Amino acid sequence: MRTGKLVRLARGNVVRELPALAVSAGGVALGIGCLVFFLALGAGLKRVVNDVFPVSTREVEVVVPSLAIGNILGEQKLDETIVEKLRKIRGVSAAYPKMQLRIPAVTRYNGLFFGREIHMGLEIVGVGLMPELVGTDAHAPFEDAGEGKPVPVVVNRRLLELYNKVFAPQRGLPTLTDTMLIGFQIPVELGRSYVAGKTLPNATEGSLLLVGFSDRATLAGVSLPLAAVRRINARFGADAETYSSVLLRAQSADDVSNIAAAVKRMGLEIDETERSRALQIGAAVELVTLALSLLAALITGLAAINTMQAFYASVRERTREIGVLRAVGATRGDVAAIVLAEAAVTGLAGGVVGVVLARIAAVLLDRLARTGLPDFPFKPESFFHFRVTHIAVGVAVALAAALLGAFLPARAAARLDPAKALTES
Amino acid sequence: MNAILLRGVKKRYPPREPGLAPQELLSGVDLEVKRGEFMAVEGQSGSGKSTLLHLLGGLDREFEGEAQVLGCDLRALSDAELAALRHTQIGFIFQSFNLLPALTALENVLLPDYFGSGVPDAERRAMEALDRVGLADKAKAKPAALSGGERQRVAIARALVARPPLLLADEPTGNLDARTGEGVIALFKELHADGMTLLIVTHEARVSHAATRVLILREGRLGPEDAQHSMETL
Repeated sequence: MRTGKLVRLARGNVVRELPALAVSAGGVALGIGCLVFFLALGAGLKRVVNDVFPVSTREVEVVVPSLAIGNILGEQKLDETIVEKLRKIRGVSAAYPKMQLRIPAVTRYNGLFFGREIHMGLEIVGVGLMPELVGTDAHAPFEDAGEGKPVPVVVNRRLLELYNKVFAPQRGLPTLTDTMLIGFQIPVELGRSYVAGKTLPNATEGSLLLVGFSDRATLAGVSLPLAAVRRINARFGADAETYSSVLLRAQSADDVSNIAAAVKRMGLEIDETERSRALQIGAAVELVTLALSLLAALITGLAAINTMQAFYASVRERTREIGVLRAVGATRGDVAAIVLAEAAVTGLAGGVVGVVLARIAAVLLDRLARTGLPDFPFKPESFFHFRVTHIAVGVAVALAAALLGAFLPARAAARLDPAKALTES
Repeated sequence: MNAILLRGVKKRYPPREPGLAPQELLSGVDLEVKRGEFMAVEGQSGSGKSTLLHLLGGLDREFEGEAQVLGCDLRALSDAELAALRHTQIGFIFQSFNLLPALTALENVLLPDYFGSGVPDAERRAMEALDRVGLADKAKAKPAALSGGERQRVAIARALVARPPLLLADEPTGNLDARTGEGVIALFKELHADGMTLLIVTHEARVSHAATRVLILREGRLGPEDAQHSMETL
């Protein structure tokens, strides 16, 4: 039996059985709607988590273990030699050392800040990064220009988000975009601290120039060019040779575990703080998504049972008709194929309607969240992320559920004795 | 050459209630129908006429004895082979028309085209078949919009579309009024004149009168026409 003819015959039967099959398709649509909705919600929340905790599966941060014996004895350190060794670990494609600004620094700002006069004093925490790590996030050269010149800095995007969603509304300050702030200069006093007794004798004044926002920048302060940090640390007699951490980039995500093992063998440690937090939250989102998806699968399963009952009823009602089909030359396989084709049409319709329902529900919920929920940091434009795979999975599961549900009725139809079927009243 | 050959065909149905004996509807039927013959099988209700027809059409495979239709041993054929035989070699006509309500008259006639390797030039043949039964103008009508006689004529057109050499009809005029029934009988005569083999089971004398040979199915066996019995069935 050719597919075109099969579809034509099935389509006619579906139209005739529309009321009964609409209930089956509705059940499938409900299950698939829930499934696609929860999958998209999970993906949307995962995207939010990734925005808040951007973690690369190819990168690890190497630090000196706080309780290492070598560290206590002053032997364990991250210097250039160690960095070179780290670079040579199999699977490492790049190593980016980072250095803490090891002297106190403060900023005092008195003046207009985008139309509002402010008086501000802050202790500055700084971390030196290699310019290659910041890359195109910096909109001006991220390099040390030398003594007496403004030091370029990049700030983590999440700090801007926190400022806009928490700090600015509370203080009545304007919300800002990254382009508004790039190029902004703030005065800085290197070697000075607001903490009594911490100010160094030869503190000097300078300025910091904001050149960009980057996920690479530290969350607890500002990130400066590594060369600038090294120069400033050296100028104040602080340690300018050892690094506070080294970011290792693996050639592939599969290499990370081997690299981590090699790092540990060197007596060093992987800083998992940010990574494990992101992974834990990501895992929690996945777990909830999985649980909700299972619930949706259960609904789809019930829809499959409903489909089975509908098709059993349909086959019973059409017993005589099936006898006629056999009489004009249909084989058992043809009869089963007709029932399954009807189920496929029902499942596909249910799947498509389910996907549309999920999309509509997501739009409504997003609209509700936009108007009903207060603004908070990292509040997304949408809590949902519909991927093509979600739609494909939704339609495929709908199809599978309908076919599975119709399998036994199709087999029963195929096994009908044509002579008996023709005598059914 | 025989179109149909039955030797000692028996058909039993399981007992209706436990403890009762199996019901034997056919108890050693012998039958020879030559190609091009127009045969009527008479019998009272429940005598096994429909069973005999289903058996000849390969719709019922559970029987004893020898059964050959158009040279094919029905007991030796697989389910798919029997389906192919019905598709290309046998046309069925039923008392209750058995049209598919969702399909138009033309689509009902085209039904055999959906199966097997289809029917060559199906659309043209279907229109020809409808034209032959005088329903070319009702091709797009659904069965619900047709009268009983028209539905039976659509069913006949469906049986003819694949141009089978053998036509099996089960009480084809049973649900028709006298005038419509006469039209159907006239059509059978035409088909017979064209060389088709017809085997019609009926309990109506007007159908039997059109046949070239009449057999009576009584007590599970086929026998020659009995004038007195014919009168009784009237």
